[in-house]
Amino acid sequence: MKETRRDFLKKTGTCALGMAAMATQMHHLGMMSAMAQKVIDAQTDSPDTTYKALVLMFWQGGNDSNNMVIPNHSDATISNYAAYSAARGTQGLAIPQASLLPISVPRLGGLTYGLHPNLGPLVQNGTTIVNNGIHELYGLGKLGIVANVGNLVRPLTKAQYQSSLFQKPYQLFSHSDQVTQSQTSIASTQSFTGWGGRVSDKMTASNNPGGLIPMITSIAGAQLFTSGQTTLPLAISDSNTPLANVLNPAGFTNTGGPARLTAFNSLRTQDLSSNYIAAASHVTDLAMAANTALATALDVTTVFPTTSIGRQLKQVARLIKDRTDLTVNRQIFYVQIGSFDTHTSQLPTQISLYTQFSQAMRSFYDELTLQGIQNDVTTFTLSDFGRTLNPAGSGATVGTDHAWGNHMFAMGGSVLGGDVYGSQRPDGTGNYLPTLTLGGSDDTDTGTAPRGRWIPTTSVDQYAATLSRWFGLAQDSTTLSQVFPNLANFPGTFSQLGFLP
Amino acid sequence: MVSKMSRTLLRVVAASLAVCAFSFLAFAQEDPDPNSPTPILMSENGSTRALAVSSRELGKASLSRVSPRAFALNSKVVFFVTNIDLMKGEGANAFRIYIEDAKGRQYRFPVLSLEPVPGIDGLYSIVVRLKDDIGYWGPPTADGDVLVSLTWRGLVSNRVKLGLGRVGGDIKDDQGAVPTPIGTMAERLKAARNISPDYIGYRWSGDRSRFMEQATFGPESNLDNRIRRIGLKTWLAEQFQAQYPSVGNPYPNQPLKPGTPPANCDNEQTITPDVPVTCFRDTYTMYPIQQWNSYEQLYGSAQLRHRVAWALSEMWVNSGVDIQQSRHMVEYHKILSANAFGNYRNLMKQMTLSPTMGDYLSMAFSTKNSPNENYAREIMQLFTVGLFMLNPDGTQQIDASNNPIPTYDQNVVNNLTKVLTGWTLCNSGCPNSVSGTANYIDPMVLVTGNHDLTAKTLLSYPGSTTTNIAACTGCNTAAITTYANNSMDQALDNIFNHPSLGPYVSKNLIQQMVTSDPTPAYVGRIAAVFNDNGFGVRGDMQAVVKAILLDREARGDVKTDPNFGKLREPVQLATNILREFNVRSASGLLQSDGVIFQRGEYTGMGQIPFRSPTVFNYYSPGYIIPGTSTLGPEFGLMTTGTTIQRANFVNQMVFNNIAAASPDRPNGTSLDLSDLQAISTSDASGNLLMDELNRRMTHGTLSSQMRNTILTAVTNIAASSPLTRAQQAVYLVATSSQYQVQR
Repeated sequence: MKETRRDFLKKTGTCALGMAAMATQMHHLGMMSAMAQKVIDAQTDSPDTTYKALVLMFWQGGNDSNNMVIPNHSDATISNYAAYSAARGTQGLAIPQASLLPISVPRLGGLTYGLHPNLGPLVQNGTTIVNNGIHELYGLGKLGIVANVGNLVRPLTKAQYQSSLFQKPYQLFSHSDQVTQSQTSIASTQSFTGWGGRVSDKMTASNNPGGLIPMITSIAGAQLFTSGQTTLPLAISDSNTPLANVLNPAGFTNTGGPARLTAFNSLRTQDLSSNYIAAASHVTDLAMAANTALATALDVTTVFPTTSIGRQLKQVARLIKDRTDLTVNRQIFYVQIGSFDTHTSQLPTQISLYTQFSQAMRSFYDELTLQGIQNDVTTFTLSDFGRTLNPAGSGATVGTDHAWGNHMFAMGGSVLGGDVYGSQRPDGTGNYLPTLTLGGSDDTDTGTAPRGRWIPTTSVDQYAATLSRWFGLAQDSTTLSQVFPNLANFPGTFSQLGFLP
Repeated sequence: MVSKMSRTLLRVVAASLAVCAFSFLAFAQEDPDPNSPTPILMSENGSTRALAVSSRELGKASLSRVSPRAFALNSKVVFFVTNIDLMKGEGANAFRIYIEDAKGRQYRFPVLSLEPVPGIDGLYSIVVRLKDDIGYWGPPTADGDVLVSLTWRGLVSNRVKLGLGRVGGDIKDDQGAVPTPIGTMAERLKAARNISPDYIGYRWSGDRSRFMEQATFGPESNLDNRIRRIGLKTWLAEQFQAQYPSVGNPYPNQPLKPGTPPANCDNEQTITPDVPVTCFRDTYTMYPIQQWNSYEQLYGSAQLRHRVAWALSEMWVNSGVDIQQSRHMVEYHKILSANAFGNYRNLMKQMTLSPTMGDYLSMAFSTKNSPNENYAREIMQLFTVGLFMLNPDGTQQIDASNNPIPTYDQNVVNNLTKVLTGWTLCNSGCPNSVSGTANYIDPMVLVTGNHDLTAKTLLSYPGSTTTNIAACTGCNTAAITTYANNSMDQALDNIFNHPSLGPYVSKNLIQQMVTSDPTPAYVGRIAAVFNDNGFGVRGDMQAVVKAILLDREARGDVKTDPNFGKLREPVQLATNILREFNVRSASGLLQSDGVIFQRGEYTGMGQIPFRSPTVFNYYSPGYIIPGTSTLGPEFGLMTTGTTIQRANFVNQMVFNNIAAASPDRPNGTSLDLSDLQAISTSDASGNLLMDELNRRMTHGTLSSQMRNTILTAVTNIAASSPLTRAQQAVYLVATSSQYQVQR
């Protein structure tokens, strides 16, 4: 079917933008015609008007999940607490077993593992419980663990990793490249678009017709995850600024203000032959259009922590609460919590970061429950990479270096929580978690000083595809190959990690 | 600390000294005309269709009898270009070929070669493969005409049509496009080259403004006059020798914080109040260096050194997010500024031994039994050679399967980590060691027992010499010291001599100072200077900085290449506007206190000096603008949220000010628009106001459309309110994307 421009406008909802902004958009980067073209490629199923949201919580810097999910059993056939302690105890990096928050893992025969102690209730002034953290949600079946996730081009055994015949992610262990790969879900080559952006490219027209803001919002600045070929994200600051003010340009109410505003808007339609001028004007157009839409936004009532991540999630909760007025049926959010690059002083750093993370996540879950929307919002984590099991340094400043596979959390009313998911390790133990042996079958390293860098058993592609399927991304092979080009390298149960229906 | 008033006095004295010192330089070094000719792509007779033949026909077909034809994707096609004036060695990689298709998508085709056409003076053939080398949209569809343009030294040619797959289709010529056949070439060249070469000083005002934006923290009228008088090269020579920090603004000299700060300076006011009440802030926080830095940006006379040090600080990143004392950051900044015009090898060595860097990237905690890879990895990835092997012009080398080639692997990181084990802060026995206080002033020292004594391998590359360090067997303490220091120097030499270093550093500095997406030819010219300054010296930063700023791609009154220029980063946006309008205190009677970095509108733009979020800087040099394939590092900070804050910062400064408020802002900050007010008073039409802003802010490139748009808003205000009119105009220019982008 050949589409008219009018059809296209209806589908993309850009008619919600002011006419001046519209005209500008048509000039920007030749984007309009390019967007029209892309829409034709997008999903054309009858629109699904239910609401769903994905929230990516990015652990910036590379989280050491070896100290987040810890064996709390003595079963000798599978890495146990003693194995963990042997690898980290002497340098002072092992978390004491008594302090672990126990969790049972049905898919490992009910073996007990433990979460980091700061993922539980926060006690202040001796008694006051702020909230119970996310540990409790695991028990309630609303929090799942996906084990040993990482950037992969294709499945890799240790022997394959050590062979040059099998393609590996480019620039393993480099922050910037591994962040790029986990945000693009393409570990084979440089990509200009993030996987959130590509999901939005496919779903905006069909799911958010008439949406007043983009499908994706970042509360943490420009992030590759949020950019598609036709999707540009909304990026706003955290809850310290109410939504009504977050994109509000100041000063147009004084003498000459209305004339100034007219000129301010008109200038963005000019001199677009420069790619830089066009790009800057395009971002400003998006901001001005969203500002109008957010003018009457609501606030939330749950008390969130006053940390950066607490404020970010509070802003997300406000936007979710405003979903009907913003006429969006699908939303993707990006928030991040930083400073996980714990080369030194990991113990105090993780105590602080896990407390912030867990408390903010729990407040967010509680607010969604208050809104009655908890089953329609799934919050999940990603990071640059995991960290070496073998510590860097020792004593008070002990830390860890860059590694690879890493455990993730997924939280939400629809998550089939209270269990550990992932691909089973190829060693026959049936485990989903790596064997905690330096130089062992999960470690990239061999030789005299292996560091314990886990070869992932589950790719970011599988993890992302599972989340996207729940979100409503069409499951035909064309769509999947365009959004997750390397997914087909993980045959079989690729989109069935199982932690979401 | 020197008070603001006496600082001001010192500045006046210093300024007059400077005038005396340079007054005998009556004759400036000669600067050439900065303007390059605008290339012209040849068309067929009587149409705007490209004069193009397949590469097989080159030299065989008569150029006067080329008939319209279509070209297949991936084929090699020859275009013809004139009105270019090549430097020695300038060739194909100085040119880029862009096409736009009927869908409005932009592609870039690789230029394979450039040759003079025998028998036709001034005409060149340019061979292009019709294969997109960016890959953003996937291959273009070969179903009709596309528009082809060529860029060179920041200038874009006319656009001509080319049949891709077939001739015909919907695409329209640019407005005003005319045929450019070979027959009319001679007249065109004559008209284009009719520029008088005689001048005094540096008369090209558009290029002067651009130069000041590239080399300083923003144009200001006295500086503009000086450069107009003495020219670029002489000004550079002055700057290379200028006292730094500027007179009246010495580096902050706070003591290091003891483990327990003194009770009267510990930010705890109830038991023992601090004396003065701001003692902790002024001694142990980032406030002093941030204020010092602002002051140097806004008023300093050694602008170029401060600018290059700032550019280097965005490569060799350190951050107040982790490093929380001014004194630590001051010592780090001294290394940047001391080496801004020095040698890159010295910068590498001094940074490697810097306690501030040692803390930030963990080398100070790395020992043979507990090695830490952090610094070893980042010195290669971010500070010197980068992840992928580079050609001499900064483009990535590719292997037989078209993949980039990693510069090093984990094994190299492991080995370099071993070389760098054992150094730590000198907390006793050094000139600045004080018991109980971490010493961030003296270089780190070796603890011999912590140094790895096993053999190491270094980077191996074409031309590498020593790539192995033998084990230190049976070494005593003295021998270990010698061994460790020699090993460090060998490893740094090994990195310093890597062929990627020159193009990597050159491209980064060009991006910081001039343009986000420089041509390979530009990068190659600067890298060649980095590799050899003409006297056999590698890494001469003075020569590199000079070459970057005087390059023909950087210079010229008007730049039209769609990919020339860069988004002003927030720090530059703020200082450029403040300097442009005679920044002063809120009262207008004193200098600004420089405390602009605390305003919500400023921090909301996303760049607080000395507080980069991570070692990857505020933005990445490889950042691609979302929704495009255009390299635009500063766009990493450009979002819906920050773009509004940029406008709000301008609003705050133009219509209001940053009020003085003790104790944080003793003087406050405001703009001085009195000269614009006077112009506005004298001319009720608003035209002179627009002329003035066009000259000062947009390099004389204000389009008539933009001018009319702003003029309408200006004359909406009664002529009896000349200051409001000036504010209206400044706000609209400063917030426009046309100004937000430095080009």
